[in-house]
Amino acid sequence: MRDCYLGIDIGSISTKAAIIDADYRILSSCYIETNGNPIEAVKKAIKMVSIPENYVLRGIGTTGSARKLIGLLLNANIVKNEITAHAIGTLTFHPEVKTILEIGGQDSKVILIRNGMISDYAMNTLCAAGTGAFLSSQAKRLGIDVKEFGNIALESDNPVNIAARCTVFAESDLVHKAQVGYPKKDIVAGLCKSVVLNYLNNVCKGKRIEGPIIFQGGVSKNKGVVKYFEEELKQKILVDENGHLMGAIGVAILSSKAENKEYYDLNIENISFKTIGNECKGCTNRCELLRIYRNEELLDTWGSKCGKY
Amino acid sequence: MGSYGVPIYYLLTHILKNDIVKPREISSYTLELGSKYSPDFVCTPFKYTLGTMLESLEEGADFLIQLGGGCRYGYYHELQEQILKDLGYQFTMVNLISGGNRISIKKLLKEYPLEIRKKNLVRYLLITKKMVIYMDKIDAYIRKNRCYEKEIGAFNKLRDEMLTEFSNCKSYMHLRRVYRKYLKKMKNIPRRDVNKKIKVGIIGELYTLMEPKANEEIEQLLNERGIELKRYTNVTYLLFQKRKSVKKYLKNFFIKYRMGADALDNIHHTKELCEKGYDGIIHMKSSFCTPEIGAMPIIESVAQEYNVPVLFFSMDTHTSETGFLTRIEAFCDMLEMRKS
Amino acid sequence: MDKVKIGIPRGIHYYYSGIFWKYFFKKCNIDVIYSSKTTHEILEIGKSLAPDEMCLSMKVYLGHISSLEGKCDYILIPRIDRFDNYNQTCTNFLAIYDLANHYFKTPLLNYNIDNKNHLLDGLIEIGEVLHLSKMKVIEAYEYACLKEREWRKSKNEEQKRILNGKDKKVLIVSHAYNIHDDFIGGSISSMLEQNKIKVVYSNYFLPEETSKMSEKLSKSLYWKYSKESIGAIPLCEKVNGIIFLSTFPCGLDSLVHELMIRKMEKPYLNLVIDDLSSMTGIETRIESFVDLIEQG
Repeated sequence: MRDCYLGIDIGSISTKAAIIDADYRILSSCYIETNGNPIEAVKKAIKMVSIPENYVLRGIGTTGSARKLIGLLLNANIVKNEITAHAIGTLTFHPEVKTILEIGGQDSKVILIRNGMISDYAMNTLCAAGTGAFLSSQAKRLGIDVKEFGNIALESDNPVNIAARCTVFAESDLVHKAQVGYPKKDIVAGLCKSVVLNYLNNVCKGKRIEGPIIFQGGVSKNKGVVKYFEEELKQKILVDENGHLMGAIGVAILSSKAENKEYYDLNIENISFKTIGNECKGCTNRCELLRIYRNEELLDTWGSKCGKY
Repeated sequence: MGSYGVPIYYLLTHILKNDIVKPREISSYTLELGSKYSPDFVCTPFKYTLGTMLESLEEGADFLIQLGGGCRYGYYHELQEQILKDLGYQFTMVNLISGGNRISIKKLLKEYPLEIRKKNLVRYLLITKKMVIYMDKIDAYIRKNRCYEKEIGAFNKLRDEMLTEFSNCKSYMHLRRVYRKYLKKMKNIPRRDVNKKIKVGIIGELYTLMEPKANEEIEQLLNERGIELKRYTNVTYLLFQKRKSVKKYLKNFFIKYRMGADALDNIHHTKELCEKGYDGIIHMKSSFCTPEIGAMPIIESVAQEYNVPVLFFSMDTHTSETGFLTRIEAFCDMLEMRKS
Repeated sequence: MDKVKIGIPRGIHYYYSGIFWKYFFKKCNIDVIYSSKTTHEILEIGKSLAPDEMCLSMKVYLGHISSLEGKCDYILIPRIDRFDNYNQTCTNFLAIYDLANHYFKTPLLNYNIDNKNHLLDGLIEIGEVLHLSKMKVIEAYEYACLKEREWRKSKNEEQKRILNGKDKKVLIVSHAYNIHDDFIGGSISSMLEQNKIKVVYSNYFLPEETSKMSEKLSKSLYWKYSKESIGAIPLCEKVNGIIFLSTFPCGLDSLVHELMIRKMEKPYLNLVIDDLSSMTGIETRIESFVDLIEQG
């Protein structure tokens, strides 16, 4: 029997899972929408990946915005933030990379790598403008499938200027440009370009972007955005076909390195998980408490600031 | 602001005959109140102080004191007064520093309903000053050592006890005895063995740095992660050391002029932290804090020269806690990896 | 040796001291070049340089400075802290010199105004750099002051004429660098004029008058340029409406304009301009504001 490890990356928009072996080869993976319900998404994802014969699962790692909740429910042996997980995953496959650009559902970040280590990073500060969620909502507004977005953008030679610093401003600008009669492809290209400019001005400000550069996250599937990144940064941008899985793979690798390895069973379908949220009126802090149950058994209570729970 | 409420309350209750309303600790409710009535893109301390004022008025205060000072802070009071009056509250308000000038004590007593206990006035002023200095010393010590405590919470427990004893002090000597007692106790707290120490400097805008509620208790968080901290900004620095330091910074530094509030100090402190071998720097400010915005590009490039990472935070009333924690965790991971 | 050329960025200080500089350098027989009017490109450069939370006007200013790089021997960037404790400026004005020094390679020509340093002292220092005699500088200074004065008076009278006219009129309250930058406030006044509404500008009154008048509205205000802009309000009893114009996220205006709005009895419009490429929303708001005034 050989060892394998499961990594799950539960983001705000999508949930990714990957099973790797001890040599970090991907044995199985999946990519599904979170749909605002991380627990259900994880159950579904676990059903979709499979442990090949002759393998035993020795570790589970979780990352992404719901990492703690899922980590608790699955009894993961490591819970890691997505910045670290992404960097570890990427460096395993692309050790030469010096800059990782990442635009996900609601977060965007840049990670600088020097001498094979994270040397600096930054994340978006202001709002969700210019992230995946923003692009999908604008695609919907224009009546275009977000998967087609990149191809349409590539047709344009003349991207329209769109103010994308803030979602609200961008929307009104977009509607206006469409009403005035700009061709759709130019608007779509303009949006892609604005995502790039916004990212470089907001997230990368003051950071030294050096090549080789890799671009990851859901938005990296958008060829229009890739094109404008290459134009602005004046160099080739690497996009890995497994780029969206890097977080999951990274945390799986971390799980394989962790000391507290166990034997795991992936049969969680019949276990019921429940979370109950309420506001504590014990003091003026008014903490939002979240109680987490597995099969009616209280696992933990989160959100208390005074340490009562 | 943070625990400074202790010496301020001590001072006011000892020198004034008036009733003092002790403001409630800042809670999410304070913020909710403050944000509701504040303009959109005002800096965050405006919202916190407005919220606290609303709470105090609810408790029956009819005289409010706003400190005032440089940058936008000196003008807070006029708008806050208008906002509160528009809401129908009856009260008088005084701003102590305006346009860089302090209001004279004489004027203060003549125009406002304050009754002062003349006896021992100077004595209590001096005790309060010393209390602040002792507090800052202890806090600096805690920041450096709490990360190594064996029993979690040992430092905080002693600190709370000390503050209670401070507020019951009768004399200067008494105060000093208490301070020395607790410093000794803290030195005796058992420590863990750590093979590689990680040191981080925290710089930025003063309110966000000194009010734990405004910075998501970052110091506690980092200390728990086993990280040693240094922070320059505290009341001792601002009131008693800043003036001299700034002169020094201007003399032997590449910045030609003062840049407003603590911007220049922070640039200089960045350089100092890098030179002293700190592993990382965290810069915090409230959203839209203008002086710090002007300093950030320079801070970043100074640190880059020394290859020290800087993490910037712009704290707002709706800063997402998860997002904040993710960034902090990643920063700590990075520092640990760089060290190994 | 080639004649020295000084670059003046068309932003921030240009709108307060531009006239003065023009005549000062003319009298000193020194060549001056200006950056072009604000363009989309200038804004984009400014945005790429400045920290994200810096106000739009400062971003534009940085763009202007950058566009002068390599085109002149010096770039003029004064540092103005305060004229006295009750006439301070925004902290960005304190920092901009050192910030520009950090970003750009062209040597900066600089004077400093604060409690201890007067404009003339700074100009004499500049004179030393440019090999001008003290006498020459003083002469040019006096000449430029005179010219600036004349210009201010003529603008003031022009404003008074509009105020006494029969047309509907609107006062725009803002910092000079916002009102007269075509990219920020310029389009707003032209939108109003298209609707046959006359525009009065807060910065075209005499500063000493507006500064004094501001006390009627705010006693403790200590920012020189804010005082001068809100001080126009009591002078403009006759206007039909007031537009408060600020750029996001201006620290001073966030407080001052909010206080003013709470004291307004006339129709007013509070415009905060964020990203210039989006004028749609502003157009709509101006149009409905015009409708409101026309009814009244």
